[in-house]
Amino acid sequence: MSKRVLIVDDALFMRAMLRDIFEPAGWQIIAEANNGEQAIAAYKTHQPDLVTMDIVMPELGGIDALKKILADSPAARIVVCSALEQKGLILEAINAGARDFIVKPFKSAQVLEVAERVVVE
Amino acid sequence: MDMDNFREMFLTEAAEHLQLMVDLLVQLDSDPQDQDGIDALFRGAHSIKGMAASMEYPETARLAHHLEDHLADCRQLGQISGVEIDWLLEAVDLLELLLGDIRNGRPERNVDSFIAGISKQPEAAVDCVAETKTVELTACGRGQLIQLQLQESVAIPGPRFLVLLKKLADLGTILESTPSTEDLLQGDAPNQLLVRLESDIPQQQIYQQLQQYSELQVITFPDEPVEEKSPLKRSPDKSVRVSTELLDHLINLTGELITNRYQLQNALKEDNWQELDDGVGQLARLVKNLHHQVLQVRMVSLESLAGRLSRTVHDLSRSHDKEIQLKLEGAEIELDRAIVEELTDPLIHMVRNAVDHGIEQSGVISIKAWRERDQVLVQVADDGRGIDPEKIRQRALEKGLLNPAQAQTIRNYDLLQLICHPGFSTAEEVSETSGRGVGMDVVKTAVERVGGVLLIDSAPGEGTRITLKMPLSLAIIRVLMVECAGSRMAIPITRVVQTVEISPEEVQSSGKQLMVHYQNELLPMLSLRKMLKAPKGAHLDPIPLVITEVLGRKVGLVVDQLVGQREVFVQRLPSPFDQIRGCSGGTILGDGQIVFLLDLQTLFDRQRV
Repeated sequence: MSKRVLIVDDALFMRAMLRDIFEPAGWQIIAEANNGEQAIAAYKTHQPDLVTMDIVMPELGGIDALKKILADSPAARIVVCSALEQKGLILEAINAGARDFIVKPFKSAQVLEVAERVVVE
Repeated sequence: MDMDNFREMFLTEAAEHLQLMVDLLVQLDSDPQDQDGIDALFRGAHSIKGMAASMEYPETARLAHHLEDHLADCRQLGQISGVEIDWLLEAVDLLELLLGDIRNGRPERNVDSFIAGISKQPEAAVDCVAETKTVELTACGRGQLIQLQLQESVAIPGPRFLVLLKKLADLGTILESTPSTEDLLQGDAPNQLLVRLESDIPQQQIYQQLQQYSELQVITFPDEPVEEKSPLKRSPDKSVRVSTELLDHLINLTGELITNRYQLQNALKEDNWQELDDGVGQLARLVKNLHHQVLQVRMVSLESLAGRLSRTVHDLSRSHDKEIQLKLEGAEIELDRAIVEELTDPLIHMVRNAVDHGIEQSGVISIKAWRERDQVLVQVADDGRGIDPEKIRQRALEKGLLNPAQAQTIRNYDLLQLICHPGFSTAEEVSETSGRGVGMDVVKTAVERVGGVLLIDSAPGEGTRITLKMPLSLAIIRVLMVECAGSRMAIPITRVVQTVEISPEEVQSSGKQLMVHYQNELLPMLSLRKMLKAPKGAHLDPIPLVITEVLGRKVGLVVDQLVGQREVFVQRLPSPFDQIRGCSGGTILGDGQIVFLLDLQTLFDRQRV
């Protein structure tokens, strides 16, 4: 059975990029969300194997969403996505329980390596 | 009563006993009925017990006591079995860890679980040895050091290390780490992570887990679990034992120096120039003598390493199920203790490599040391399958270390040295292609740090020889003095292949890089001025060149002037000058001029970044 991923990003372009990376590699995009609130709801509904979570989003940001998801489902596998210069936010996210991180611009091999690694953990 | 002093004495002596016990155990492995050996082991445990009890280190005393009881039984039996030897070696390891605790002022670790295993151990059937062994290793709480380095291309090391730390925390308990989680969260961006992990997962599996991170360039498990060697802690003041004979010599010399002072003072008062001249001559003789004697204090023989090496070979032949013999030659050769300490890990690493990749089923590893003028050579050789230069050529091409033209012309010997290139030796598949394992670059760096050089010689089916050339002492070394941008600088002579002067017409250019022909090779020319960020100098004719080797490749270093060779007394630079990269020390000339000692390796590294 293919692994199921929930993509959370407020930018359609970024979601499309990730979709382009995941789908050819045999992943199923179970849902997409464009803010933190949607992400929490989608996680509850779909219980995906993996969440890619953008950090900076309107309404509810990625780190708060991550904390809320982990509070309900401590086993959730969440990988944060961020730009290089947001090092502080990445550290904060990892400290809050993100399993790993990927940096923009996304490179297919790197994204998939992180994703596969996190899912088998 | 100064307890610190006693503690230091206790630690030094106990460590000596433990070292001796390891030697004895390895010997007993081949001669299990050696009564003298068993007796000596018993006495070692007994001495440690007595000392630890009087120093009030209860856990150490308790473990030593159990060891003593156990060895008393062996004495009665008149022999000691292989199973027992392995167990005793582990007990000695645990004692070393306890000494580490004491040395670092920590509470001693608890030995209950280890002792609880003791009654079972000697009766244990041989076929369950392996299992019992792992259980006990974890039971004695032995933390494993793990050293991680990222690929240079990893843009934000801080978060990456944080993920790795968390990953390791899932695999066991992190006893300590440099940097710590807090450091990382505060934005530390180190180039390496050092972790002491306590885990019951076998090292191999931890390695496999870490290998999934392609961001990692280096994954090593440094051998030495004893805190003394660990860079995690500030190393405590080291003490040496000096023979009373040597001390007497020093005192006599001091006496003569005092007499000499009066002689000089007198001569000065009386304006007696002849007397003054004699006195200064006398002073020169005394200082030379003193210098010689003091150097002696710093010298230790390689013998001190023999125990650990035999131990490594013993353990590895068990775990790899290979029959390996270790031959040591020239262990009586003496070297500066700082060099011997730096050499320990590299030597063990090379022995490991020889077992892992060189020797197939059975074979001999020989370690030979000898002196050549003011250098000491140490050679680690195995009679294993050797290294195939063709495979290295291919690999070097793939990795872009050589261009196709270079790959055609490079000599096999030079090809072999490429194994030490950091871009070459880290990937795990190298061990299959080249027959050498990871981390030869680390070995080479360690050797170069003490001013030595490393050379590899091998051929398919003819084994591998790795030779280290080292200065006798770190304090006094021969240097080549050069002049650059108005300053005098020194280069350790061990780093100099040759000095030449070339005419500007001999310089060729290849793209932006200037090149020069040297013994049928085309070497890149690098300017020392440029490396030191000094302004461009005047046009030179002839151009003085220092041929040196960096990462196994020769280069021509352009200096303003070659001054000549001399012996210098190297002093460490005080803080904050010790932070200057590319400079490993300094020396003061007779006229008071300070000369910096260049660390070419680091300078070149900086250049490349």
